[in-house]
Amino acid sequence: MFDWLMWFTHMENSKPLALAIFLGAFCGILIYVLTGKQRAQRLESYKYIPFDDDELHPPDRSPAKRHSQSRNGDGQ
Amino acid sequence: MALSSVLPAEQYNYGIVRKFTIMAMVWAVIGMSVGVYIASELAWPFLNFDIPALTFGRLRPVHTTLVIFGFGGSALFATSYYIVQRTCQARLAFPWLAEFTFWGWSGGVALGALTYVLGITQGREYAEFEWPLDIAITLVWVSYIVVYVETIRRRSQPHIYVANWFFMAFLLAVALLHIFNNLAIPVSLTKSYSLFAGVQDAMTQWWYGHNAVGFFLTAAFLGMMYYFVPKQAGRPVYSYRLSIIHFWALIFLYMWAGGHHLHWTALPDWVSTLSAAFSVLLLMPSWGGMINGIMTLSGAWDKLRSDPIMLFLITSLSFYGMSTFEGPLMSLKSVNALSHYTDWTIGHVHSGALGWVALVSFGSFYHLIPRLWDTRMYSQPLIYIHFWLATIGIVLYITSMWVAGIGQGLMLRSFDDYGNLAYTFIETVEFMHTPYIWRALGGAFFVAGVLVMVYNMYMTIQSTRREQAAIEAKLAAKLAKA
Amino acid sequence: MRHEQIETNSALMLVLILLVISVGGLVEIVPLFYINETIEKVDGVRPYTPLEIRGRDIYVREGCYLCHSQQIRPFRDEWLRYGHYSLAAESQYDHPFQWGSKRTGPDLARLGGKYSNHWHVQHLVAPRSVVPQSIMPNYPWLLDNDLDYTDVDGRMRALRVTGVPYSVTQAEYDANVQKYGQAIADQLDITKAQDSLLKQAREKDFDGFPGRITEMEALVAYLQVLGTMVDFTQYNEGYFVEFR
Repeated sequence: MFDWLMWFTHMENSKPLALAIFLGAFCGILIYVLTGKQRAQRLESYKYIPFDDDELHPPDRSPAKRHSQSRNGDGQ
Repeated sequence: MALSSVLPAEQYNYGIVRKFTIMAMVWAVIGMSVGVYIASELAWPFLNFDIPALTFGRLRPVHTTLVIFGFGGSALFATSYYIVQRTCQARLAFPWLAEFTFWGWSGGVALGALTYVLGITQGREYAEFEWPLDIAITLVWVSYIVVYVETIRRRSQPHIYVANWFFMAFLLAVALLHIFNNLAIPVSLTKSYSLFAGVQDAMTQWWYGHNAVGFFLTAAFLGMMYYFVPKQAGRPVYSYRLSIIHFWALIFLYMWAGGHHLHWTALPDWVSTLSAAFSVLLLMPSWGGMINGIMTLSGAWDKLRSDPIMLFLITSLSFYGMSTFEGPLMSLKSVNALSHYTDWTIGHVHSGALGWVALVSFGSFYHLIPRLWDTRMYSQPLIYIHFWLATIGIVLYITSMWVAGIGQGLMLRSFDDYGNLAYTFIETVEFMHTPYIWRALGGAFFVAGVLVMVYNMYMTIQSTRREQAAIEAKLAAKLAKA
Repeated sequence: MRHEQIETNSALMLVLILLVISVGGLVEIVPLFYINETIEKVDGVRPYTPLEIRGRDIYVREGCYLCHSQQIRPFRDEWLRYGHYSLAAESQYDHPFQWGSKRTGPDLARLGGKYSNHWHVQHLVAPRSVVPQSIMPNYPWLLDNDLDYTDVDGRMRALRVTGVPYSVTQAEYDANVQKYGQAIADQLDITKAQDSLLKQAREKDFDGFPGRITEMEALVAYLQVLGTMVDFTQYNEGYFVEFR
């Protein structure tokens, strides 16, 4: 029943195994980063960090409200 | 923005950034001039003058070291110290240690150049420093990491901005590469033998060599790009999510690609095939970074017409995109069979080093200098002149190297009707004479541009000194009246 | 796990970066030290003699590797121009390797024996006197400078630490006699290093000045041994392919 587990113990299978792991990790990251509207909005809000210091005319950051709110909430 | 009432010049440590900025330009002038000189030696060998210190073999490491570690390194120190303070809204940690990194780094680079001229070298490309200097550099680098990471830990901003991820990867990777590539057994203060030999030594060296390009000249300069392009454009980077993907992909893939410098050699086939595969994959994260940078300007393309600094930054990204396409192409075994050992490689390196690394640094400096000295650039037209001199220089350089490299590669592998070699080696050397002259000319254009920048920078700093002196004189006069 | 957790934790980020950048090097470099097929099994490759070591040091000092490679690739034109493609075994004692990355001048991996000592001396002092189109610098000081060989045993000791079989003890010497024959084993003996350097220089007189031992002496000795150690007539063509 668990014979298929033996496949992992063979050295010659290390290459396809590594390939599967790396590809899986890559797809996982892609799916995590690119899906979910809320997540997208949240992640994109961090790109305004360089403008958080002393700029006189900060760019329009309408999609970034969540970011500034959460920062105020953390008492920063 | 709790600190907005304080002037940034007082809130942050700008002194160290100013020092590294000036030093970067000093190394640029010396290092690139040496480059033009050795390029001329290849066109007119009498320039070696039978003086050991002036021969191509001893000056070439001086050129690469001063330009990569002197100019590039100082530019990275300057911009990373600036960016980490501004994006963390924290003053630089351990100012005395940061000061040590300045004197240690500048002294190390200067001593390195001096020892090469005297013939003291490890004989490893881009890692010619002998072991005492290697140890000194390691100390400086560890101090750099301590200053940088501690500043990040003191941030008043919950998030670490993307630019800093790239700098962190650069700090760690360079430490790792430097230590393992320089393992050696010393004979005396000025001589050592590398711990590894032959094929293992070759792979270690090119794992180092390729990732010096990958982390020193790419990842770290992408960090620079991720701050200065959005700041100069006045708009945030195109996609934060793209930056997450391309950051992790880039630092993972780069470390596999070193073996493509050793195609068709005694290196086992599996390593060079694996390296070639990963080199091709590298195209994706590289272009991810380029797209992210260039698209930051989408909707504001008119800035390219009115802002010469933007011109520098966007052109540098275009050259980055071009050379990261050329790189994977040259890592294919069939292309590499022709291109390797020829000037095509030299041209490729310079389209990256001049087109990407130097232009993005100049653009960032033009953004930085007015802020560091709290003034405006002395002359806007001179920035345009610098841009055009640099661009013409790069185009001359890479086209002449394509001609020389591809030409030599084709000549060496051509046969006559009887199956004999069509050309002797020396015939290819003769053929390369004309492209070598054009290359030296291209380099001279580029150096001329740098000199224009140095003049512009000098006048800018001078004018702030004069203004300050005037204000002080007025104050003194008022006090005297009272 | 959210990416924010990494972005807000500098220690976690540093650890992850270190993990991610370590994989490539570990997979590609570490096995090279353990897989036996990395270096072919061939006869003849021996460590350099004391004089050749000093010559190699000068080769490194002058930065020859920046214009000359020492690595012949398995192509027809390179076979015709330079000879049999390079084996990993041939540079197994090269600390550091000098394969090079650019051929502004021709490859030197099998230079040994192709030209006379006299030609080399003339060519190094004034390259354009023998090859008019050459762009190589002149190296006249090689003939002016006397060779410093006082620390050659120290150099051999350092190389011994890296694994090159230079002998100090009687047992090591005997092993070298077994492997390379007595004449070579004598030259690999650190305790007799200076004597064997002088002996080789006087017997062969590479620089053409019998009374003197110049830097030219050592450099030409090194150039003349390049690529001559393996006798390729001993092996059939298929043999080396197994190792690739």
